Parts: sequence; C-alpha cells; structure tokens
Amino acid sequence: MPVSEQVTQRELRIDRVACSGHGVCASLLPQRVRLDEWGYPILAGPHPSDHDGERAIRWCPARALYWAPTPG
Amino acid sequence: MTDATLPALLESAGLTGRGGAAFATHVKIAAATHAGADLIVNLCDGELGAAKDGWVVTHHLPEVVAGASLVTSRRGRRIRYAAHRGSATASRLAAAGLDVLEVPARYVSSEETALVSLAHGHLARPMTKRDRFVSGGRDSAGHTIEPTVVLNAETVWRVAQIADRGAPWFRSFGTAAEPGPRLVSVSRSRPSGMPPLPASARAREDEHLGHFVPRAERDGGTCRARGESPASARARQNAHLGHFDSPIVLETEAGVPVSELLRRGGIPDDHGAILLNGLGGAFLTATEARGALWCGAGLTAYGTGIGPGVIHALDPRGCPLAWVRDVLAWAGGESAGQCGPCLFGVPALARDWAALVASPTPELLAQVRSRVALLPGRGACRYPDGVAGFAASALRVFEADLVAHRSGRCAGGIPVDRPITSERKAHAGV
Repeated sequence: MPVSEQVTQRELRIDRVACSGHGVCASLLPQRVRLDEWGYPILAGPHPSDHDGERAIRWCPARALYWAPTPG
Repeated sequence: MTDATLPALLESAGLTGRGGAAFATHVKIAAATHAGADLIVNLCDGELGAAKDGWVVTHHLPEVVAGASLVTSRRGRRIRYAAHRGSATASRLAAAGLDVLEVPARYVSSEETALVSLAHGHLARPMTKRDRFVSGGRDSAGHTIEPTVVLNAETVWRVAQIADRGAPWFRSFGTAAEPGPRLVSVSRSRPSGMPPLPASARAREDEHLGHFVPRAERDGGTCRARGESPASARARQNAHLGHFDSPIVLETEAGVPVSELLRRGGIPDDHGAILLNGLGGAFLTATEARGALWCGAGLTAYGTGIGPGVIHALDPRGCPLAWVRDVLAWAGGESAGQCGPCLFGVPALARDWAALVASPTPELLAQVRSRVALLPGRGACRYPDGVAGFAASALRVFEADLVAHRSGRCAGGIPVDRPITSERKAHAGV
C-alpha cells in the first residue's frame, strides 16, 4: 500500500507559537485561511488538498504549518 | 506495586485529573511509565481563587510524596514539585527537602506544558502540542523535550489514597460519572466601599476566608473606566491577584448542591452571581446557583463543570460588569505573549469590554461578541478559550446589568461613568 494512503486522516494545523503573522498561508489557501485584524490566520472552510497543504507548509516563512492526525 | 497494576487500579477507581481537565489519570500514568517520564507535581493553584494545592501540601504532604513515588515506580525518574516562587507552598515544599520547581506567579505559567518548558530550563510558557510531551518531543524552537508528565497535587494525593484504601472506597464518593472525594476552594468578594482591613486582621481573615477585591470596589464603588499607564496597570493587577490568596478549602464530592458548598464556605445567602472555575470558567446567576448541582451534568448548561474546583461569590452590591472589566484588564497582561490571537485578542477584548461597561452601545456589544468568537482554538494553550468562555458567560449572566448601564445606572445602583445622553443615544441608535 502506498504511504499516502496510510495517512489520509490528517489535517493542516498552525503552530501558534511559531506563527508570526506573515499571512502567506492566507494567500496560498484562500478557501481555508483568512486573517484577523492583526494578520494572524483564522481557519475556516474546506480543508485543502494534500498538494496545496504541502505547498503552504513549504512556503510558510515561520515554518508554523504542519500536518497532524485528525482527532477522533 | 508493579508498573501495570497501578493504572489498572486507577482505572477501576475512575480517577481523573483534579487540575481541571479531568483527563483519565490511568492513561497518563501508563504512558508516563512506558516512556520513563519524569514527574512534575503541580502545586501552583494557578486558577483565580484556587487554594486546594496549598491545602494539600499543608495537610497531606507525606501522602503526596508517597503518591508521586508510586507514579514513578521505575528508578531514575526525577520528581519535581512546582509551586509559585515565594509562595507559602514553595517554602513548605523546600522545608520538606523536596525538589522544588519555582514558577513565576503568572496565570499561564502553571499550564501543563509551561511547567514542562520551565523544567527544561526554558521560559514558563505554554508549548505547541505537536507532540505528547509525556513521550517527549520538541518545542516550537526545536529544543528537545524529555518525556515529562504533569499531575495535579490533589490527583497525586488521590493516587496514594486509592493505593491504600482501594477503588471501592474511592467510588463510594461522588457520582458514577465523577467518582471520588474532591476538594473545592470557596471565596467571595468583599462588600463595596469597605475600607481595607489592618494587616493583622487581614492575615487572620485571609486564613479563614480569602477575599479578593476588584479595583472598582476598593476605589469606592465607581464604575469609572480610566486610562492608566502600563506600570500602574501592572501594580493594580498585582494588587488584584493578591486578594485571591486563601479561600476556604472544603472536602466534598460531585453531585452536591452548589448552595451547600457556598453555605459551608461561609458565603452569606444574599450573595451575587457565582463564578465557577475562575478565568477558565463561567458565571451562574445567584438563582441558578441556588438550584444547581455541583457536577458535570448539572453545570454543562452554564458552560462549565467541576473543573479545578473553584467557587467565587460576587458581592450583590457591587457592579458585576466593572468586576469583569477588572478581571479582563488583568487577563490581558497574563497572556504569555507568544500567540498573536491571544497577545492582541485578549487585551482588545478587555478594552472593548471597558468601553462597553462605560457606554453600552449595540456596536460595542457586537464588537465584544466578535472578539469573544475569535479567541477559541487559536492559541498553543487553552488560555484564550478560557477567557472567551468567561466573557461569553458574563454577557449572558449580566445582560440585565448591561441594560441598566444603558440608562446610566447599574444594577448595583452605582453611577455609570458616561451615562448616554439622549443626543448620544440617537447617534448610537440605542
């Protein structure tokens, strides 16, 4: 079984300590991320595809995005 | 007792963490044993109005030490006792020759992962839970975190009791869902306008009935929202915190009436609203509190539960909106300052709340509601979630007071700082 099929139950999370509010995630994932008045991300809306999530993780200047197992 | 028998015993007893989160203790201990985790016993009484950790140290320290050694049955696991720096609890622990982890007396410092961070030589600030630190991991800066488990002092005491007296004894207290004996801290606000007691009398009174006095009441009961420098705010908040020191601690169990705990705690029948579980908790009106049972099922409708076991009665003659304003002003400074939504969001909520109390327009109410809605789930720890729940429940319970403030008066009969004139009313659409 390919590795990607073993880890389908995951979601994109934000390390809020690492996050410094650059807002790149909101540009790359506009369906999932909007910014509050100080530029910090608010998660709402459909989960991104693996490809889009990976891209946001790679481009976050604070390295604050990561995959985590979906709770439950 | 072997590594495997203690978790099984605790599972049959149904012991859950007494620090507030009520996580199953046997799960935590089994994971800690598997990982060979170090233990931190949390004795910080970090919640506003909490005093039971100090009570446990004063009355049951040998059992806490015995419980800690049961939890860390394998050799070579370090046991540390976390208490606020300079507190009586820290002195008692040091005098007993225990390994004390001295914690800055700030609200978030005694959060579980903040203690783990401090124990690793870093700041006492909550960490992002990318990993379960009971098995070890890394903080956001990449530092290695060794396997560490944090247990509340009362929880560790209960472990020793269960090992000694058995699970059936433990389950003879409380409800099926929330078994076991429990501690609760009960306190109240001092009546408005009451002059400060002399230090000797205060010490004596605090020994029996801890009080904390919001600034509005100390200053003679005005609802004045005033601008102040950060330095004076800090001094005021420190003074504010000092009054949460020593509530009455009661031994009780889940399922008893809240009114019985109030009575046993020496709270007069004419009390105001009741705050359960401090800044991470929620308010009940005095009437709701008279009918409520102290258990998860009885309190969930109000947005709280047994939690860390803290009950605080507001003075019926004070302005509850001003009281909440003072607590939120203090809360704004208690953010660890790491996560933007909390660093900026909690002080913004405090500012808007102060403006709302002084001049309750629909616009400010909507602004406060939107601030509250944006706090949960956006911090490394649950501090902003707790503050949001506190403020949301204050909006519910003190709705009548907000309406009264709109007409320039508050329910406590105290003049509002900026009564809305008919001209401003028309402008604000009130």
